[in-house]
Amino acid sequence: MKTIRFLLNGKEASIEVEDNETLLCALRERLGITSVKEGCGIGECGTCTVLVDDEPHYSCLTLASKANGRDIKTVEYLSSSGVLHPLQEAFIRSGAVQCGYCTPAMLLSAYSLLLRNANPDAHDIKEAISGNLCRCTGYIQIEEAIKNAAEICKCNGQD
Amino acid sequence: MLPKFASVTARTKDEALSWLSSLENPKIIAGGTDLMVKMRAGKHYSHIIDVAGIPEFLGVTEKDGRMSIGPAMTHARLSTEASIVRNARSLALACGLVGSPQIRNMGTIGGNLGNASPAADSIPPLLIHDAVLTLESRDARRKVPLEEAIVAPYVTSIDVKELIDSIEISPLRGYREGYRRVAKRATWAISRLGVAFAIREENGRFLDARLAIGSCTPMPFRAKKVEDLLKGAPKNEATISEAIRMALEEIKLISGIRPSYAYKLPVLQGILEEVLRG
Amino acid sequence: MFIGQDITRVDALDKVLGKAAFAHDLTKNNMLFACVVRSSRPHAVLKRIDVSAARALEGVVKIISHEDIPGENLFGAIKKDQPFLAAGRVRYKGEAILIVVAATEETARRASELVRIEYEDLENISDPFLSIQSPVLIHDGGNLLSHRKVIKGDAAKAFESSDVIVENTYSTTWIDHAYMETEAGLGYLDDRGRMVVASSTQNIHYKMKEISRLLAIPPEEVRVIQATTGGGFGGKLDVTVEGYLALAVWHTKRPVFMRYTREESLLAQTKRHPLYIVYKTGARKDGSLTAVEVNIVGDTGPYNSYGETVCLRAAVHATGPYEVPNVLVNSRMFYTNNPVAGAMRGFGVPQLALAHESQLDEIAGLIGMDPLDIRMKNALKRGSLTATSQVLNHSAGLLETLKAIEPAWRERRKERPGSGFGLGCMYYGIGNTGISNPSSCYLTLTPEGRVEMHSGVCDIGQGSDTVLLQILCDALGMEEMGIDLVRGDTDTSYDAGSTSASRQTYISGMAVCDAAQKLKKYLKEQGYYDGKPLKDICRDAADKGVPIFEGYFDPPTTAPDPETSQGAPYATYAFATHMTEVDVDEVTGVCKAVKVHAAHDVGRAINVSNVKGQIYGGVAMGIGLALMEEFIPGKSESFDNYYLPTSMDMPEVEAMIVEDREPTGPFGAKGVGEPALIPQAAAVVNAIYDATGIRMRQLPCDIERLKLALEKDKENKR
Repeated sequence: MKTIRFLLNGKEASIEVEDNETLLCALRERLGITSVKEGCGIGECGTCTVLVDDEPHYSCLTLASKANGRDIKTVEYLSSSGVLHPLQEAFIRSGAVQCGYCTPAMLLSAYSLLLRNANPDAHDIKEAISGNLCRCTGYIQIEEAIKNAAEICKCNGQD
Repeated sequence: MLPKFASVTARTKDEALSWLSSLENPKIIAGGTDLMVKMRAGKHYSHIIDVAGIPEFLGVTEKDGRMSIGPAMTHARLSTEASIVRNARSLALACGLVGSPQIRNMGTIGGNLGNASPAADSIPPLLIHDAVLTLESRDARRKVPLEEAIVAPYVTSIDVKELIDSIEISPLRGYREGYRRVAKRATWAISRLGVAFAIREENGRFLDARLAIGSCTPMPFRAKKVEDLLKGAPKNEATISEAIRMALEEIKLISGIRPSYAYKLPVLQGILEEVLRG
Repeated sequence: MFIGQDITRVDALDKVLGKAAFAHDLTKNNMLFACVVRSSRPHAVLKRIDVSAARALEGVVKIISHEDIPGENLFGAIKKDQPFLAAGRVRYKGEAILIVVAATEETARRASELVRIEYEDLENISDPFLSIQSPVLIHDGGNLLSHRKVIKGDAAKAFESSDVIVENTYSTTWIDHAYMETEAGLGYLDDRGRMVVASSTQNIHYKMKEISRLLAIPPEEVRVIQATTGGGFGGKLDVTVEGYLALAVWHTKRPVFMRYTREESLLAQTKRHPLYIVYKTGARKDGSLTAVEVNIVGDTGPYNSYGETVCLRAAVHATGPYEVPNVLVNSRMFYTNNPVAGAMRGFGVPQLALAHESQLDEIAGLIGMDPLDIRMKNALKRGSLTATSQVLNHSAGLLETLKAIEPAWRERRKERPGSGFGLGCMYYGIGNTGISNPSSCYLTLTPEGRVEMHSGVCDIGQGSDTVLLQILCDALGMEEMGIDLVRGDTDTSYDAGSTSASRQTYISGMAVCDAAQKLKKYLKEQGYYDGKPLKDICRDAADKGVPIFEGYFDPPTTAPDPETSQGAPYATYAFATHMTEVDVDEVTGVCKAVKVHAAHDVGRAINVSNVKGQIYGGVAMGIGLALMEEFIPGKSESFDNYYLPTSMDMPEVEAMIVEDREPTGPFGAKGVGEPALIPQAAAVVNAIYDATGIRMRQLPCDIERLKLALEKDKENKR
């Protein structure tokens, strides 16, 4: 077992993890963050996506120990100020949520995109979520939601 | 569920080398995108040594006309790194096509080489840039050309106590360069064919044409015979046809006739025609 | 007025917050973990099972076999022919043999690997065409599961007088549902000792009945709850984890959790039926269809699941949405030791659409008729007779869907050498085929002054919870969505039937309307529409005893004639036309879907955003079916080689909604869930022909098959 210390959704976190534990497991089982999902366990579906230093990673392929000293964000971060992030509102409004299993991961990939690129075009948006599978929506309303959210974020000057 | 192992995080190269030398049944982990899948399938190592954060393994530098790439550079970083985009365009393109955004954020070029998949996208571009690996163990240091380092599909000649210290390549300036690949869906798929090319032409002649093909033979290979044919040759249909014929012959010589060649060889022919015609 | 509005989904907020509790997220104190020990052989007698090493592992609590089943071992959606746990014989690779229950998931899986099974192999029947001749019987009754026919007019005679006849063979293969959430659930005994199972599921009352039979306890002693379900598409209609959980809880008296790995789901769960279709079409010079003769052979695997349903639906829909006066269809399902094939979005109709749409295009080509014109000429419309001689009295909007895409079709221009455009049309009977499939619900009033809807409908992401609320609000004439939804729990709802056959909006929607009529009458009597506040009405009701307002609807159908399938198997049909533009790279064989116009007659779009969402999702699944999805037993073990479309594989989609109101449906609505998928692969294949001159008759038309066909075509032309 080793102790890892990291930033979790903006707050300091410290937990004990096994050497062979994945970040996915640590988040879900030890920290109760079940918004991070397991869909395949081998980095081929995207539902386990978390942000590591604001970049999307597959937590199922990340050893928990790699989180040490890093800034880890899950979907809870988006509404951590108590209000829905424009992305979350846009997802709701645009019909981007059907079964919802891919949704937290999609939101994180989208959030990371908007941090890097406040003015994404259609291709940028498609590429940003190209590592997140969705079996329900066909992606179109998700992409519309991200586009709408980008415009709102620009107006608000927020990330 | 992963098998039981102990893991350590190396902060410097010396730490990594020391552990690699002293720990039992050790394995280097960088991004983990290949290794984690293997371990989940049951592959067992006693000690995992994390080298992803070692500063010496990051960055791209230029010295004496050669470029040196840190093995822990992620595919995402390399695909946008200015000096790579400018001087090794096929490598930047290939890195931008590996896996998905998440895989590119995690996976490293060192890891890609260490895994030595016949379909690794980074390998053909490295081959046409005369890539040489610097391998280091606690007690020794050696340089190995990339084509000698990969000995069989998924097998390298890198010793279990060695790690990749750097990857050196020649920059290519003034070339028409690119990377073409074919896969069963638009992204996030194993390449069924990969072609790295860098071509310099002038006054209707090929001055230098570099070509490496992946996902076709057990190891990605550089078509040196074809390159020799093209060097100085007039750029016309006869030369191009002969070059292509030679490439296909060389592939059949290496691998025999594989069932997948019914698909791959005609595709390769078409791609080479487009690439050579420009 | 809430119908036709983009009311945001009632479950969306929790989902964007990451708070929705999926089956994978369920947990309880003192919980154990179960996993299934599965057959590694396709067809074998189980000679010996040695669990000693497994049992000795620390943390293993119980190992359960068929001998530990108190009630019935056999389950099945239509026929009870599939064992929960194999009793002496296994019939497919992945079949469940034992359940291991342990303190941790890791222990359970390690223990399952320690079980030693001695198999005596039986002949592996892996070809449905050889199945019927084999002396080895997969089931005592023989290897033919089902044979359905459609006979109308005299096809043989009609061919003789046809000007043009086209006959071809088409084939499709297994497809995985590939929902993002694999099968999972949690079972436990409540304070009263009642069995409770919460799972990722498309139905709850059906599973309650199966668990009751399994444990030999009355259904009232079983409670099934639908957890937020991460996709279904037909794969979570059969019992998946529910039976195993019930047994594990029964024997350990503790809560038990179970989830399938993705590899396990791919290995063991049902798949879309491979269908082999020999299709003969006759037509006159003017393009009118004269006759259709279709021979369908399906590989249903070793158990029925929904094999009989697919057999019949494929037969009934074989002509496509066209008036064909003479029809002869033979549809047969054979048992094999291949994966169990069952319900999957479309139940055989997407496969038939590939055939009937390609046939129509080929006929059109031979007589020099535009593909749109030939469809308009033969389209079913009001007053038409279907293949089962059902008269379509109302809501038959195929022509409207064809007209909707007509401008785009007439204006199509090939921008690049590899450009191609193709059409695909479909019709789909809403609800189960020719059998009773009712939905029930009830409404009450709460002391707090709210209407409470009790719904047994399983929303699997398609949005039924929201749609039913919209229907109820409008049926009651309410100005605000002041309705509380109590859902997904057999304790608090009536049986609404499964979420399948695109039936919930239509059938459960009508049940809701039925209940609403009764509540409306009551509210009227109480003065609600004269201004008396609902809160007061509820308070008065609470004093007198809260009334319940029950709703029920069973679509009026007739059972198909056993010989000819003639009759009225559905009360209503959805219609659609897809126009797909592709760009084929002849060098690589890569076919890119560029743009889709998808026009759907849904009767009435209760929630436009939901309908569009289904259309976009259906197009995505159609792209997968057409170009990249192929489950190869033994090879397709995980998502690293079973490819679903990503965002980069999607074309631009224009969803066009046509509303030919269905008078028997809630506010005119029909259904769209499966229709959204059905015509897409057919349209892609027709577009590939337009681009390359090659008719691809086998799916998927992946890069290798297409390139090889292009090469062969070049060879032939030399």
